[in-house]
Amino acid sequence: MNHIPLERSAASRWLRALALCTVVAVLAVACGGSRKTSSNPGTTTAGGGGGTTAPVVNTANCPAGNDTVGVSGDTITIGTSLPESGLYQAFTAILKGEKSYFEYMNAQGGVTVAGKKYKINLVDKDDAYDAAKTVTNVNSLINDTKVFSLFNVVGTKNNLAVRDLVNSQCVPDLLIASGAVQWGNTKFPWMLGSELVPYPDEMQTLVDYLKTTKPNAKIAVLKANDDFGQSYADTLKALIVGTNLKIVQTQGYDPETSEVKAQVTSLAATKADVFVLGGTLLACPNALNAMGDAGWKPIVYMSGTCVSKVLLGIAGKNANGIFSVTPLIDPSAPANDSNPAVATYKAQVKKYAKDADVSDGIVAYGWTTAALFAKILESSPKLTRSAVMETARTLTGVKGVGLQLPQSTWTTSAKDWFIGETFQLIKYDATAGHSVNVGPITDDNGKTAAISPKILLTQ
Amino acid sequence: MSLFLTQLMNGIGNGAVYASLALALVLIFRTTGILNFSQGEMALYSTYLVWYFSNRGLPVWVAILLSMTLSFIGGAAIERIVIRPVERASPLVLVIVTIGMFLAINSIVQVQFGADAKHLTRAYPAHVWRPGNVQISADTLVLVGILILECLFLYLLLQRTKLGLGVRAAASNPESSRLLGVPVGRTLMFGWGLAAALGALAGSLAIPASQPALSAASMQSILVFSFAAAALGGFDSTIGAVVGGMIVGVAQTLTTQYIKALSDIVLVVPFGLILVVLMVRPQGLFGSRHVERV
Repeated sequence: MNHIPLERSAASRWLRALALCTVVAVLAVACGGSRKTSSNPGTTTAGGGGGTTAPVVNTANCPAGNDTVGVSGDTITIGTSLPESGLYQAFTAILKGEKSYFEYMNAQGGVTVAGKKYKINLVDKDDAYDAAKTVTNVNSLINDTKVFSLFNVVGTKNNLAVRDLVNSQCVPDLLIASGAVQWGNTKFPWMLGSELVPYPDEMQTLVDYLKTTKPNAKIAVLKANDDFGQSYADTLKALIVGTNLKIVQTQGYDPETSEVKAQVTSLAATKADVFVLGGTLLACPNALNAMGDAGWKPIVYMSGTCVSKVLLGIAGKNANGIFSVTPLIDPSAPANDSNPAVATYKAQVKKYAKDADVSDGIVAYGWTTAALFAKILESSPKLTRSAVMETARTLTGVKGVGLQLPQSTWTTSAKDWFIGETFQLIKYDATAGHSVNVGPITDDNGKTAAISPKILLTQ
Repeated sequence: MSLFLTQLMNGIGNGAVYASLALALVLIFRTTGILNFSQGEMALYSTYLVWYFSNRGLPVWVAILLSMTLSFIGGAAIERIVIRPVERASPLVLVIVTIGMFLAINSIVQVQFGADAKHLTRAYPAHVWRPGNVQISADTLVLVGILILECLFLYLLLQRTKLGLGVRAAASNPESSRLLGVPVGRTLMFGWGLAAALGALAGSLAIPASQPALSAASMQSILVFSFAAAALGGFDSTIGAVVGGMIVGVAQTLTTQYIKALSDIVLVVPFGLILVVLMVRPQGLFGSRHVERV
């Protein structure tokens, strides 16, 4: 046996301590450095609005000379990152809608910005819904592909992961595919959510509905264990303060698996009157089926991100009568086929994305978001990142974009950082295979920040 | 009490899913000494075959049998073409080869069948019984029933037939077996084929029972838990795979129900259990200790 001499052992201990100190020192320097680079040059002039011409997006500290990156000849290159593989692969349907719209526009000559026509080139990268991969993708899109703007990057945690990056580089992160209210944080003006209904507006609609129909309801909540699911749980908790509504149990599920049966069994045992489903994609039908198995028949509110004929079809009769919201015309309702916007959408998506299901709300979302992006570009006085971002932040009376609800108007301003604030409460009819409208359209324009938990708006 | 029993049944249902894939892992480990990281994806491909055939009008049970047959051939072919050339390489090389197959098969599935989620029908009518408020689903009964049949079949095959004796001999000492006239190469191909066929059965019953749709990611979380089950039970023990699967499945659901503080991170419990078991018994609960003469 060889014994290590005492001196050597002591020396190696010192060496280790020294190595540790070095690592700590290097980390400290690195952290200090990163804090410096993550300062946000584009702080807003919010509050300075009120009819003045002061810009919402302050570009004083933006890196010089990068305002027109991504425009070459008559092509604008933009980039997106979304799950094209893994458990959240079904979101690829968004890309099919987006690409169909841009190809449709390009075939007509492209979008007109400041009097000149441009074609749009959308570069997509797969992040498998993994925020670390989103960071790599976005870095590559900004630095290698040199995109003009990011477009409809999917996921709450994924966009939070690139927040410092896009704001320090002054790259527009436009029409984020997430209804989280973190996009209302005025410290980060280079990000703007899409027309997805902000999650607090969803919860407010549910609370208003319950106050009139079941004012003493007990509520059970299922949430994804990430920033997305937490948004629902936190806002609902804040919104029921002062009402007779009560949350009796909240269960989380691992967003990496969508396995929710045990959680739903536990929630069903509370015999709550209302079931709030703050999950997305396959977790939604999974939870509805588990609810059916448990023989539990609550009023169900399901995240607007699950409004898809495909997902609800999987749940079959268990999806009957559930509530949700949508900012769009339902492409799966046969009655809407005569609507010219729906007809154009269906014809063009069938032409450009042959394997897409045109009755799927997720494809319709991609199509509409692309149309909104084109609308923003066309409304911009010039083709620079700052002008386009400023345009997106000061939208007035946008109507008739893609499958936007005919009665809705999309607006943003220095004081209003959310687009999808006009929407329709819907109820799913499993026999008919599509949803029906419940009551008139909800117009929460400019109200989202007021009903959002402050911590989510500022953290 | 009925809630406890319901969650227990949920856990047993999950456990049966993990155990059935863990059995395939154990079978390959016992016959070839390889930890097959691509087992889940092989089962995934087989399950897509079931979807493919049933979508073209074949009854689901027939589709499953057809897929099991093709999977048997495919599994044997993988052993012959992919594994045989590297079978004497270091364990690390084998691990990398099976991880490579994991990625390759997953990509092939996406290219061949498309990225959309598929609806796979159950091979039996879905039903939930509620004796005394305890929920027992047809899924749980079928999965547990098939698992028991699989165990019996494997036990009889490996312990009571000449073929099984050959399989065990070829795995434990290929050189001596070859000298005794055991066709080692063919025996190993048989082991892989059998594991692939079992995986096909596991996948095509487990996915419609536990997930709303079939997608390229369907098997990934199942594989993680199946590995956990096999590690817990012992990689060379059939009964270990079953017990391990049940422990992991039940620990998951009971944690969700009863340990509020951990309900957001239920994986802690099964993995904590595995850590403790492996510290005390590195070979797993039922694994045989590896002894070497010095």
